[in-house]
Amino acid sequence: MLISKLVVIMELPEELNRETAQNFWLELQPLLESHRPRIVLDCSHVRYIDGAGVEMLLQCLEEAMKRDGDMKLSAVSPESEVILEFMRVYRVFEVFPTSEAAAQSFSAIPAEAVPQDAPLYAGLFADVEVLKQAS
Amino acid sequence: MGTRFDVLRKGGFGVVGAIIIVAPELSHATRGLSDARSHPRAPRLHKGTPLACVEVLGRSVLERGVDQMLRAGINAITLLGDSCFAPVRGEIDRVAANFPFAWGDDAWLGATQILRRHKEPGIDVTFLVRAAAYVELDPVDALRFHREQQQVVTRAFDEDGPLDIWIIDTARAESEDILFMLGESEPARYAVQGYVNRLEEARDLRRLAVDSLSSRCRLRPQGSETRPGVWIDEGAQVHRTARIVAPAFVGRKSKVEEQCLITRCSNVESNCQIDYGTVVEDSSILSNSYVGIGLDVAHSIVNGNKLLNLERDVTLEIADPNMIRRNGIPRKEAIVQPADVYGWDEMLSVQDQDEDKRVLDDVSEV
Repeated sequence: MLISKLVVIMELPEELNRETAQNFWLELQPLLESHRPRIVLDCSHVRYIDGAGVEMLLQCLEEAMKRDGDMKLSAVSPESEVILEFMRVYRVFEVFPTSEAAAQSFSAIPAEAVPQDAPLYAGLFADVEVLKQAS
Repeated sequence: MGTRFDVLRKGGFGVVGAIIIVAPELSHATRGLSDARSHPRAPRLHKGTPLACVEVLGRSVLERGVDQMLRAGINAITLLGDSCFAPVRGEIDRVAANFPFAWGDDAWLGATQILRRHKEPGIDVTFLVRAAAYVELDPVDALRFHREQQQVVTRAFDEDGPLDIWIIDTARAESEDILFMLGESEPARYAVQGYVNRLEEARDLRRLAVDSLSSRCRLRPQGSETRPGVWIDEGAQVHRTARIVAPAFVGRKSKVEEQCLITRCSNVESNCQIDYGTVVEDSSILSNSYVGIGLDVAHSIVNGNKLLNLERDVTLEIADPNMIRRNGIPRKEAIVQPADVYGWDEMLSVQDQDEDKRVLDDVSEV
């Protein structure tokens, strides 16, 4: 596991079936409980994913998004691409050729750009007041 | 109105016979010819089902080839299977249910024996065809060419080279040297004008289906055209909420369940099941395959639990039976009549038992 600028990069096992997916999930779960988790799953070694594996990936994405984070895939082999497409989930994930590219993609929009404490709509009402006064 | 048989007679071609063999390429057979003669059980290169024996749009190329011969008035047809294809004999017998096969150790040698026998009932000319490529050839035109050339052997060629179709003057051929003559001698070259698909790899099967559904060749799907470009074979069930976008084919006794979409030159062969909400796009689902719920099969060929993605050139064997698997009970319509031709292999009957066991396994799995 590599942690770079708060982006966690984890290698998926060669075969992602019910058993390996469960073990991987146990390892991943604590990381997903942090605020705005940024996860990259390196698929370079993956040769086979079954339904349970795909379910684990979707669960991981869901958990990350619940906490305003994201999960991305990197180095997806053609075999894994075929399976993910076959199960209609390929388009759900952001996929990058390398883990570095995936990690960098998180910093393309810096975290500071969006205020962390105030809700997204907080500034909107102030802008509306300004517009009202102007009119 | 005269039949094609009359045409052959009146055309002065004499009595025409045909031998159709399911065997490895002649080059493989002739390369080890002397060995093959002394050790007929030498192991062979090919193990999988020959693609000519796989159903495309309801019928295999092998069956269509036999039909073509019958339509041309050639009734003396012998079908020979090489024992190197014994592991898939059940499958071959199933697709050629109406045409009893004779199986032996070496189909090429078997063909020379049949040729020798052809002299006795007075068959003047014999077509020797290896079931491999799909070739749109006019037998009458080929015979006319053969007669004009006055050579013992004529071989069909297309722009890519020789095809495994020969016309042999039975009376003039020395049976002992037939294999050598086919492999080494310079035959007359008959140029095939029609469509040719060599069926060398699985993607050629897909190409054949697409070419047929797009009317680029004369191969017509089985069944009836229920809407322009939509072919549904006997006993197929398509749910009213499923959508079949032309051109497409649904084979015999196949089921397309609710909310499915079959589109872009896709063919679902016989005895398949496409389960709820699945999309089959630009793909071939080979016979006896099950495709599970809510999946997306695109640019692929599915055969039992194997999926070949043609876009990425990736073949996957999927262990999860909820996704894809062999479907139910394969059709067991073949009535195999043993023929006393040459070197019967007892191992084949053992193979049949294995086949039955596999069928039972499939059923229990379902």
